[in-house]
Amino acid sequence: MGAHPTVRAEEQQLRCVMLLAAVVGPPLAGAFRERPAKPTAFRKFYERGDFPIALEHDGKGNRIAWKVEIEKLDYHHYLPLFFDGLCETVHPYQFFARQGVHDMLEHGGAKILPVIPQLIIPIKNALNTRNRKVICTTLKVLQHLVVSADMVGEALVPYYRQILPILNIFKNMNINSGDGIDYSQQKRENIGDLIQETLEVFECYGGEDAFINIKYMVPTYESCLLK
Amino acid sequence: MACVSRVDGNAKPKSMSRAKQWTGEVENLYRFQQAGYRDELEYKQVKQVERIDRWPETGFVKKLQRRDNTFYYYNRKRECDDRDVHKVKVYTY
Repeated sequence: MGAHPTVRAEEQQLRCVMLLAAVVGPPLAGAFRERPAKPTAFRKFYERGDFPIALEHDGKGNRIAWKVEIEKLDYHHYLPLFFDGLCETVHPYQFFARQGVHDMLEHGGAKILPVIPQLIIPIKNALNTRNRKVICTTLKVLQHLVVSADMVGEALVPYYRQILPILNIFKNMNINSGDGIDYSQQKRENIGDLIQETLEVFECYGGEDAFINIKYMVPTYESCLLK
Repeated sequence: MACVSRVDGNAKPKSMSRAKQWTGEVENLYRFQQAGYRDELEYKQVKQVERIDRWPETGFVKKLQRRDNTFYYYNRKRECDDRDVHKVKVYTY
């Protein structure tokens, strides 16, 4: 004898509910998940003593003392290595990389432009770590790089497709604190604001093609020059 | 402020006071003292140099060689914060 139609309908309904209960949402894509960088060439060279730098402790904190004049350094060899160290998060590697990059950009002049293609991979690696502090440091370094010498901003334009996608992910990372004060803004550690600042610097120093290339990679960016 | 230009190269300072407020001269003294010298006069005495590397826009010291022969490089903008101004020693000759 077959089951009663009412019982059959109830069984079907129960099966449907169980199927619905088994449906789960898609897994997290992990766009914001931090991805620690593998050991850098910077750390290897530093531990071998290949860098002409020493750490000095003064009353204000730490400072770099150069054993060789920066003007005499081979920028093709050292500058990419220092940029590679931007991924570091541990002292003293992080400090040396950051301060070393700053000093070399400040005093490099015309020696910086020919090295730009070799800097793109280290910059991309630093941004791809998705570590907030590393990204903030890298953005400040990018701003310094663009203004460090003539034509550097324009030389970076062909590489926007490699370095801007990560900025697109973090561009809206601004805290909604209501009427509270966001101190990370005045300390220049707010990623959303830093990205906006960096893109504006890129546009100012990147020449005529800069805006369209930025817009292609970061569609929500609005020009700061064409207003 | 220290009057350096008309002083004999081997002169010793007669007195010392602390800076009260920031000026370009105080900024340069801060940079010399960071590198381990009293001021420009002592740097020239020790290192036997005629000219000092300066930033053309601001006139601030750009590069100094320390006594251990390592180099300190300084930014083109101000490095001496207001909280460090009172630590800067001003020598008179």
